[in-house]
Amino acid sequence: MTRPFKQIVLQLFSLCVVFLCVVVFADQVDAESDEREIYFQQQVAPLLSGQCLTCHGSEQKGELDLRSRATAYAGGESGSVLTPGKPEESLLYEHVSSGAMPPEKPLSAEQIAILHRWIEGGAYYPEEPIDPLAYSSQTRAGYDWWSLQPLKRFETEDVKEASPLWKMSPIDRLIHSRLQQENLRPSSPATATTILRRATYDLTGLPPTPEELKDFSVACLEETGQDHAVGEQAYTQLIDRLLASPRYGERWGRHWLDVVRFAESNGFERNAIINNVWPFRDYVIRSFNEDKPFDRLGREHLAGDQVGPGNPKIEIGTAFLSCGPYDDVSNQDPVRAAQIRADGLDEIIRTTGESFLGLTVGCSRCHDHKFDPISQKDYYQFYAIFSGIRHGSRFVGPLDARKEYAKKKQSLGEKKVDLVEQKSAIEAHSIARGEAQLAEYAQQWKRPAASPQGNEERFDPVDAKYVRMKIESKQGNPRTGNGCMLQEFEIWRAGEEASNVALATNGASAKGKARRARDFEGAYGPQLAIDGSYSARWIGYGDTLTIQLGKQETIDRIFFATDRTGADEQRGRETSPCEYRIEISLDGKTWKQVASSHDRKPVNDTHRNIRFIRSEATEEEEQQRNEIYQQISQVDRELDRPAPFPSWWIGDLVDPPKEQHVFLRGDPQKKGPSVRPASPRFLEPQVMAFDLSAEAPESNRRLALAEWIFADGNPLTPRVLANRIWHYHFGSGLVATPNDFGFMGRRPSHPGLLDYLAQRLQQEDWRLKPLHREIMLSQTYRQSGTANPTALAQDANCRLLWRFPPRRLSSEEIRDTLLRLADVLQLKMGGPGFRLYDYLVDNVSTYVPLDKHNATTYRRAVYHQNVRAMEVDLMSDFDAPQCAFSTPRRDNTTTPLQALSLWNHRFTLDMAEQFAARLRHEATDSSAQIERAFLLAFNRKADAQEQSAGERLITQHGLPAFCRAVLNTNELIYLD
Amino acid sequence: MPEQKTSAHRAANSDRRSFFARSLGNVTTAMMGLGFAELLAEETPGTKSLLTGPHFPAKAKRVLQIFCPGAASHVDLWEHKPELEKRDGEPLPGEENFLSFQGKNGNLMRSPWPFVPAGESGKRITSLLPHLQQHVDRIAFVHSLSSKSNTHGPGCIFMNTGHVAEGFPAAGAWLSYALGSENQNLPTYVAIPDIRGEPPNGKANWAGGFLPAQHQGIMLSAHRPIRNLQRPADIDTHAETGARDFRQLLNARHAALRSENSELAARMAAYEMAARMQLSAPEVADLTSESSTTHTLYGTDHPNQLLAAYARNCMLARRLLERDVRYVNLYCSSRASGVDGLLNWDAHKTLKLDYERHCPVFDQPTAALISDLAQRGMLDDTLVLWTTEFGRMPTHQASTSGRDHNPDGFTCWMLGAGVRGGTSYGATDPFGRRSEVDPATVWDFYATVLHLLGLDHEQLTYYHNGLNRRLTDVHGHVIRQIIS
Repeated sequence: MTRPFKQIVLQLFSLCVVFLCVVVFADQVDAESDEREIYFQQQVAPLLSGQCLTCHGSEQKGELDLRSRATAYAGGESGSVLTPGKPEESLLYEHVSSGAMPPEKPLSAEQIAILHRWIEGGAYYPEEPIDPLAYSSQTRAGYDWWSLQPLKRFETEDVKEASPLWKMSPIDRLIHSRLQQENLRPSSPATATTILRRATYDLTGLPPTPEELKDFSVACLEETGQDHAVGEQAYTQLIDRLLASPRYGERWGRHWLDVVRFAESNGFERNAIINNVWPFRDYVIRSFNEDKPFDRLGREHLAGDQVGPGNPKIEIGTAFLSCGPYDDVSNQDPVRAAQIRADGLDEIIRTTGESFLGLTVGCSRCHDHKFDPISQKDYYQFYAIFSGIRHGSRFVGPLDARKEYAKKKQSLGEKKVDLVEQKSAIEAHSIARGEAQLAEYAQQWKRPAASPQGNEERFDPVDAKYVRMKIESKQGNPRTGNGCMLQEFEIWRAGEEASNVALATNGASAKGKARRARDFEGAYGPQLAIDGSYSARWIGYGDTLTIQLGKQETIDRIFFATDRTGADEQRGRETSPCEYRIEISLDGKTWKQVASSHDRKPVNDTHRNIRFIRSEATEEEEQQRNEIYQQISQVDRELDRPAPFPSWWIGDLVDPPKEQHVFLRGDPQKKGPSVRPASPRFLEPQVMAFDLSAEAPESNRRLALAEWIFADGNPLTPRVLANRIWHYHFGSGLVATPNDFGFMGRRPSHPGLLDYLAQRLQQEDWRLKPLHREIMLSQTYRQSGTANPTALAQDANCRLLWRFPPRRLSSEEIRDTLLRLADVLQLKMGGPGFRLYDYLVDNVSTYVPLDKHNATTYRRAVYHQNVRAMEVDLMSDFDAPQCAFSTPRRDNTTTPLQALSLWNHRFTLDMAEQFAARLRHEATDSSAQIERAFLLAFNRKADAQEQSAGERLITQHGLPAFCRAVLNTNELIYLD
Repeated sequence: MPEQKTSAHRAANSDRRSFFARSLGNVTTAMMGLGFAELLAEETPGTKSLLTGPHFPAKAKRVLQIFCPGAASHVDLWEHKPELEKRDGEPLPGEENFLSFQGKNGNLMRSPWPFVPAGESGKRITSLLPHLQQHVDRIAFVHSLSSKSNTHGPGCIFMNTGHVAEGFPAAGAWLSYALGSENQNLPTYVAIPDIRGEPPNGKANWAGGFLPAQHQGIMLSAHRPIRNLQRPADIDTHAETGARDFRQLLNARHAALRSENSELAARMAAYEMAARMQLSAPEVADLTSESSTTHTLYGTDHPNQLLAAYARNCMLARRLLERDVRYVNLYCSSRASGVDGLLNWDAHKTLKLDYERHCPVFDQPTAALISDLAQRGMLDDTLVLWTTEFGRMPTHQASTSGRDHNPDGFTCWMLGAGVRGGTSYGATDPFGRRSEVDPATVWDFYATVLHLLGLDHEQLTYYHNGLNRRLTDVHGHVIRQIIS
């Protein structure tokens, strides 16, 4: 600044001061209220907000609400709490100064003084009530919370101690300056082998092949002239090659699948497998491989049907919304059903908030968030946005094709109705003829109709070794006997010593196809019909029950029942046999009928008419009926033909309820104020808000949210994503809680670096690969993983990245590595997944891990059909997530069960065999085989001791024993 | 487990709330990122116990939780309702049109079996459980529970984890996390499913949830050993030893170059423990060493195959507890099936038939297990819980002689270490419809359980996706009246 100019400024300044003074004296009242306003906003409001309003705000504990002047002055249960000007006479002051309030966490002297001064000055309140979410305090985050503030520009930090290499990349400068502050130094660069192994696993989840190792070593040696040193160009080429590999999407797509809690069953009681959601997994892998801009991916997740209508490759994105766990057990209790629906939407809200925003939005379901500035109203605005989504499938394909398909379906349906009518018309003739002869039929149908409570059949004594019942129909379905139930089937010996001889205890046995429960064989088996008890029942899966007696008997009576006591009225009726024949045999081959239902009265008109149709139809009618029946079958086949476009598990979209309310305390029965689909407040004014009408179409709501999440000014979304990328590269995020950037989450270890990376993402149009490249080319990433005692003592968790943090492979990497070493890994991408469990269904699902994994499962683990509450050897043992929630980071546990499964499971033994076969093929003698094994498994040579011990093992117990040991080593699954 | 020792149990007590209260003296710091000291103090989320041991002296050291899934009827088993008997066949006042889980209900229906007084306390329980009647003076009943769900799956999950949704740790996992193991050769938390299959919602009932994997329940029963426990049949002991020695050689060399990495040593130790488990687990599961008197007491040789199978599981449970397994979750019956009430206590339609099948299976072996524990002095430091997911309606379900689900009132009970026997806490209304006198929650039940194990349920927390989670969610009061 030049001198004259400075003087002018100074003069102006003093003029202003004079002017201000004049104003102050002229209007002292205003100034005082300004001052009170400022004091209130800066000191009192944050204090009340942080210390008092949790209870004495919307919760109104003790009937006291301190948010506004009116409610605060009205006092609470104990009467008035504020006497303006007189702190000592104010109950509020009395309670805080005595330490009674807040309970167990008394205020500091300084805080008490603030309240004293405030009350003394008149206990001023502004017009607007305090927004308890506005201020960060010692107990909560407000709108001023760090993660909600705009991204900060990268500033060069002091890196004077850094070597020239560490001064080039902003990442390294930011890491180095932080290390420098703590008197730490970065580690030396990793060797060529180490960095190859690290980078290959990091980007592809697979080990480098010996050929790749050789190529890289040669290239590095040529470039640097040194053994082990990493050539700049060779390394850059390596990263580019890995980023271009399709294996990249399989590895990094899996990370994202964790975050979006992707699994292929619905969880809860039924936990039914979902066989049409795998296209989402393929879509994620494809998107990562294509380096689809992440904002586009996000928009497709939330509103794929809007950004790519009719395009299956884009609409599939919305499986994000529907692939979570939800309760599908039907519930007639409307109160509970409403709660279950609310739980289903809550799951979607939580996942959306945590995945994209890194905020635990779900915690504001019952009340305003206790720690973060998310109001209950914000939550129900999200609810209104998602309230048109139902879990389920939807057709995806071009709109025209879908319309045409629907039209065709409809016309087929109409055709079928027409045919059925024609058939009925023909049958009506038979029925009419039958009805005309009712009296004659009544002569034939003398006995009472079959009853669920029991039916007796008497016949002349006859010798039998076998008795069978052929069930022609059941009450619930006159066309089939399939699904009949029988509690007991008695066969009575004739004569003086009459007794039931159809008892397992008498040596009888029962045969008959039954419904099956594979986790408890015999649950519905035919043996239950001869167990001597009218309790458990046989559930027929077919039409025949055959009893073999302990020995040949003379019999004259049969008795059987479906619901002996009539306790199970409806089901008893539907599942009881109504048309049947009883046959006996001596040899089990030739049969003789001894009784049937045909001389009983029909159980109802439907069954009666069926009898008429069978007995009264003319030959011509029969023929016509058959022809029509053929046509109906043809129509049915056409109706069953799959649509020419897929039906995927991407959510069924319905009209949202016209009105959405806040549910007080999260209870759908307690409706609070109404809300509209609108953006939450916590990012105002950085991000343009949206506030849609209550009638807004369902789709607009999700699209508006997607636009808001990915709006340019939104600092949260890029911060959260950048942090996830860092987390997966280094094992820990700059924010160690990647799903929680709120108060309960961790603070960033390197705030500047986080913001730098977030901005780089935006500069790269939300593409991930440039960011991977920049991170992996940094010196930070290329450090060795060797420990340094000083740094270790200071920062054992390596949060400051003084070395590259070593890590264990993930469950997928471990399995894929074993398959790769055995040289049996199939790289087929996409399509329905494979299963390492047996899927048992009997009303509910049971998943039983397999003892042997056959060769069709030798695919990359990302293609495993993961289900909820699953336990699969190796996968679950090594911390594959259950996907009940969004999983932002995997556990890294070490357990004996891991040891048991990797050491003893047949899969390891099979891999050891295959690995051995490969080694025999690739190397001639045991010494060469050991060398080859070490190169493949560890990318290094065996030392002399290892070589000789290995040879001894192979000589004594064979190559597979050696391979089994190698597959179980730490070196195989820990990366430096 | 060895690796737990270093991480879970010797961790410094660093309650996150107090941690933040300390470090956030300067709000600006909090908003800008942590200082280095704080950064170092913060453990990686999801790796450490907050505990150094119990919060206060414990009365119980271990827990046996018997679970009868399918909603075992409180008004037919445990809570005598004279008014229900008296007004049998009359409408349930005020709830004539109530729609429960499966829909419409008929009139009040008395229990098909009389309730008979037992023990010195004269407590009336159903006559269908003659063996358990012998133990009523040991039992503290909680008659006033209610559930957040009327559906079996979420109901079971709620009863086991305190949350209706999947993904939360079961009580046994919380105790594993809090107290660890006293037996290095066996799992800390064992789940014993019934021979008829897994309970509703399957393995989520003994999940570790968001706790590290070592806390999840390990599935094991008399009919199914721990998975992958056995040495593969085609590998002889010499080959086994040879391969093991070679693995150890490679691991030792690898670890020597990375001495700071405790995970490597932990994994080597895990293999050693696995080898010890391989020896000790079959020994526990081998019931042949039990005397024939004991076998008869439990009923392991009973002609009723279901009874015999459950009896073997009861015997196995005792053997596990004897060897200081921390938590045993024993199931009597399984999941929903093709016929309600067939495989579990879900007597929608044929209550009489169903319970006359289930009660004998449950009665003798359970009573024998309690007697056996008592006789061995184990009830002094073993807490026994009996639980189910919710109750049943006092009315009959429309057109049936069974009862629909009733989440609004049900009974669970406990006995053993620290429990005041012969007490009944709370009650449902005169019909058994809703919890009315001293209403208690599942969280209260577990607050009491944790208390007996020396743990303050509000202090036992674990950070997950935004909150310090608890077994008792944000609720729970210790039921002092049932503590001795």
